[in-house]
Amino acid sequence: MKTGLDMTPGGYAVQTSGLTKRFGDRIAVDRVDLRVPAGTAFGYLGPNGAGKTTLIRMLLGLTRPDAGSMQLLGHPVPAERSVALLRVGAMAEEPRFLDHLTGRENLRINAAAREPDAAGRIGPALERVGLSERAGERVAGYSTGMRQRLGVARCLLADPRLLILDEPTNGLDPAGMVEFRGMIRALVDEGRTVVLSSHLLDEVEKICDAAAIVDRGRVVAQGPVGELSAAGTRSVVVQVGDLGRALPLLASHPAARSVAQEGQQVRVTLGPVADDQARSAAADINRRLVEAGVGVYRLDLPAATLEERFLQVTHKMQEEVAA
Amino acid sequence: MSVTTIGRASAVARPRARTTWRLVSAEFLKIRKRRGLVALAVLLTVGAVVMAGAVLAVLHAADPAKYGPAGGLGNLGNATYLLSTLGTVTAVLVGATMGAGDLQAGVFRDLVATGRSRLALFAARIPGGLALLWPLVTVSWIVAAAGSVLLAGSHPHPGLVVMVQGGAWVLLATTVVYLIALGLASLAGSRSATVGIVLAWQLAVTPLALGAAKLGVLREGLLTAALDRVIPAGLLPGARPDPVSPTMSIAVAAVVIAAWAIIPLAAGAWRTKTRDA
Repeated sequence: MKTGLDMTPGGYAVQTSGLTKRFGDRIAVDRVDLRVPAGTAFGYLGPNGAGKTTLIRMLLGLTRPDAGSMQLLGHPVPAERSVALLRVGAMAEEPRFLDHLTGRENLRINAAAREPDAAGRIGPALERVGLSERAGERVAGYSTGMRQRLGVARCLLADPRLLILDEPTNGLDPAGMVEFRGMIRALVDEGRTVVLSSHLLDEVEKICDAAAIVDRGRVVAQGPVGELSAAGTRSVVVQVGDLGRALPLLASHPAARSVAQEGQQVRVTLGPVADDQARSAAADINRRLVEAGVGVYRLDLPAATLEERFLQVTHKMQEEVAA
Repeated sequence: MSVTTIGRASAVARPRARTTWRLVSAEFLKIRKRRGLVALAVLLTVGAVVMAGAVLAVLHAADPAKYGPAGGLGNLGNATYLLSTLGTVTAVLVGATMGAGDLQAGVFRDLVATGRSRLALFAARIPGGLALLWPLVTVSWIVAAAGSVLLAGSHPHPGLVVMVQGGAWVLLATTVVYLIALGLASLAGSRSATVGIVLAWQLAVTPLALGAAKLGVLREGLLTAALDRVIPAGLLPGARPDPVSPTMSIAVAAVVIAAWAIIPLAAGAWRTKTRDA
């Protein structure tokens, strides 16, 4: 299996610079500079309509950019498109098939457009996605989950070094999603790069090593998932005996950005702080409450999540747009 | 050119030929597995010729004084007309499906995403559909020609040359219409719109235009007029009783036919190359 960071100059499987696409007056993709490290699972995370699919379509040569440049596996696109896409398996938007053909026949059609070896990968690909036994049935009778699996099998025909999957878990039931995550991780463990576009934060957090957060066509943050999450707003949740005395105390704490009562508990928002700072602040809040004679029943420092980071950066964008 | 150079050239050509063959086979697979379309195509070609011959044979057997033999040169001319008309319908259905099928099913983007040239994908559609159309038209013609000999009775038999030329003409007529439909469907991205437009043009507008004497020499630009000019003489009375352009030169007819085939194809190829997949 070909693997590793050495497969592209600079170690990036996907690299874009200033990539822009307009539809009339609307900018769908706005000067996107994206760097996807080779051999990782990379999440392209954004709300619906953020321009995720448009970016993927440009990478695959399905639509032309208005400005900017891009490279896939070290090859400039569109100049060396056919070479670049030779080892790329892609599922753009929902997977579509010729419904009057069987699953296997649909793969034969796609393999015919690829190198001669691709036909020999049909069986293993079907086996890998668990469709071997149903491959002789017409796709018209497939469930959404089976179509998603067949879409992944179609990607595998390329023996891909790079997989680009657009909202791949759409329509999957919870068990299917768990299975899918396992499959993606296995592909990455083989040294392949997987770019996963999604609006599901939880999915990206569980599957991906690195991510870019995109909003209104712009990449607003990118990096390793751990770093992205850690850069998000942290908060301390406390449950106390006397809310009336606790609230002014918490509001006056130097680390507190804001204080909000949530039922019988209070959430103290700290802002984007590092883990150790958050822990110190939590300890100090506890100490001050106890010293003031306020009983603390519970104190919680929730782990930094990508969701908080996502909401933070996309809200900031919305505020900027509104302003 | 040195021997080495020839060796290299053929080594490159072989994989390319195999790739083309795989693409064409895939296109043929797509069309031959459309059971409804294939059944309709068989009915409109072989079925229509068999039924027409059977009806004429039954009528002749029932009342020989009133109805002549089902075969002979005249009835081969009638079969030519029948086959060129219903073969046109078949060619339009097959061509439009080949041209717009991938787009409408949403799989064109997945084929483009393989990195294969869009023009190669487009070009493979042409033989892919002909692989279905040609055998049907050929078998239909063989049935019609055989019937015209076997059931000729007192009528004059068609000669071998007329039969071969007639078969070639029917293949030409249906192939050109197939190419028009394929090109327009690739251009428009819609099967149903293409079927409607091409059938309306060929079966409704063209006959009216051919009959409009005021159009004069402009009528020579119509596909049907050009095809009439190159139809084997023995088959013309049955196929088209009133040819509009008996004075059109063969060269002009050939240019008109080629233009009708090439222009829609070029438009379809251009759109396939430039459209958002």
